[in-house]
Amino acid sequence: MTPVGMALLTFGLMLVLMALRTPIAVAMFVAGALGYGAQAGWPPLSSFLNHQAFARFASYDLSVIPLFILMGHLAAHGGISKALFAFASAVMSRFQGGLAMAAVLASAAFGSICGSSVATAATITSVALPEMRRHGYSGRLATGTLAAGGTLGILIPPSVPLVVYAILAEQNIAKLFAAALLPGLIAMLGYMAAIAVYVRWVPGHAPERRAEADREPLDARAWVGMVPIALIFSLVFGGIYGGFFTPTEGAAVGVAPTLVAAWLQRELTWAKLAQCFYATAEGSAMIFLIFLGADLMNASLALTQLPNQLAALVLGWGWAPLVVVAAILLLYVVLGSVMDELSMLLLTIPIFFPLINSLDFGLPQESVAIWFGILVLMTVGFGMLAPPVGLNVYVVNRLAKDVPIAESYRGVLPFLVSDTLRLLLLVCFPGISLWLVGFVR
Amino acid sequence: MRALDTLARLCALLAGSLLTAITVMTCASVLGRNLFGATLAGDFELTGVATGLAIALFMPWCQLRRGNIIVDFFTSRARPGTIALLDRLGALLVATVMALLAWRTLLGGLNAWGNHSGSMLMGFPDWVVYAGMVPPLMLTALIAFYQALTPLAGEAP
Repeated sequence: MTPVGMALLTFGLMLVLMALRTPIAVAMFVAGALGYGAQAGWPPLSSFLNHQAFARFASYDLSVIPLFILMGHLAAHGGISKALFAFASAVMSRFQGGLAMAAVLASAAFGSICGSSVATAATITSVALPEMRRHGYSGRLATGTLAAGGTLGILIPPSVPLVVYAILAEQNIAKLFAAALLPGLIAMLGYMAAIAVYVRWVPGHAPERRAEADREPLDARAWVGMVPIALIFSLVFGGIYGGFFTPTEGAAVGVAPTLVAAWLQRELTWAKLAQCFYATAEGSAMIFLIFLGADLMNASLALTQLPNQLAALVLGWGWAPLVVVAAILLLYVVLGSVMDELSMLLLTIPIFFPLINSLDFGLPQESVAIWFGILVLMTVGFGMLAPPVGLNVYVVNRLAKDVPIAESYRGVLPFLVSDTLRLLLLVCFPGISLWLVGFVR
Repeated sequence: MRALDTLARLCALLAGSLLTAITVMTCASVLGRNLFGATLAGDFELTGVATGLAIALFMPWCQLRRGNIIVDFFTSRARPGTIALLDRLGALLVATVMALLAWRTLLGGLNAWGNHSGSMLMGFPDWVVYAGMVPPLMLTALIAFYQALTPLAGEAP
């Protein structure tokens, strides 16, 4: 069989297994193992498997992932989000659609200590959805906002997909986090703008502007809600960029104050701590199993030489570099609509990254790698919202029992427009992503 | 199933405690380094070791909760009975993969024991980590196997 035929066969087997409801990680594992064994022989496969679980699980670089996930769940269960949303709604109460904007602001703030979009969406939904419905927001706007706001969990550092990209592309995590900050803030403002435009153009989804007397005052009590998050964020990122500890250590250092903050709020019981551990177990084990599956799939694909051939083929077309980037991003949007985002990154970055590296954008190679990472992160966020399988939309919709899923998908449309505009902006102006990186030593 | 559930919970709690221990150790190390200039050589190796154990210990609970992501887009219109059957086949594949991993990790551990491999700075023996990973991987296989055998809601018994 030709190498290309082999690659297509393993890829096809993987897709068939996925379509038949095999867990994505296991579909990659099975197809990859069979492909690898058929090409390299079974003894090499066996010795690969002997050390693979150890090599992937007991990895210092990857330890940030379970730690950031634990930190997010501690923050979610620790009663930090309630006071945070109260603060956000006090800030935003003067605008029409203010509670929706507050949900976006709270999601962004929560995202600054949480690296997962699903966790952010679920956390902010639990505090913001009842308030929004009580004030007469439509299910469409409320769930759309919360699903979109959730993606700020990964767009604003720390970010699990960005950590995965950093490891795959062998880039500095601290620099990637710095690069993500401005685009993340632009995402937040873009979502707020989307709400402002939407409530004006399509009446009936948000109540009229609230009277002066009805607004929550932005007083000292409200500001207190922002304090724990601000402290934890400054400690973690101040420490990382001040050179006191590495990003990997930063994740561990961040867990401690989050635990203390939750304990001080008198919200964290032993039972809730156990819940945090269970949630961390689900989130982390899932990701690491995907790592294992993608490892085998990539090893098998690498044997077919397909990645190299693809790079040579695309280079041979002589397209402009920006066109290649646009084509890759478009492919991500399509793939992301049926596949989960981490598997997509793990399978495609080893193929696309060398290709991107061989193109000339008139920028240093490291800058290109960082800029491309941010673009990839944005399309991942897109995939979390876009139908037919927007994970965030599902998560939020499950918590809003009276809202049909079709309404929620309609609700995310304005935010997808905002996402698209932001992606174009970041493609055209790499400087937005690269400016802050210049300050990282 | 009660026993499997309890074991999976215990594993997850143990793993969570391991992560908390990493946190405490890293904080101590960071404080020591920045305040007193005292470095804990090889602390990152312990982080790696503890993460490895924690991740393996997280697996059983994740499988018990069917936390591994599936694509349900293509089967969204299938009958409940078909979906339940596919999910059982999926669980069977998970069980096979986990059993394979447990077996190969056991062999890898024996190998590490034989050639005395360990971490660079502290010399922490690798076989300990392998040995700690095998039981939770086996438990995960067992849970998935049990799920493959148990009829699900919507299925004719």
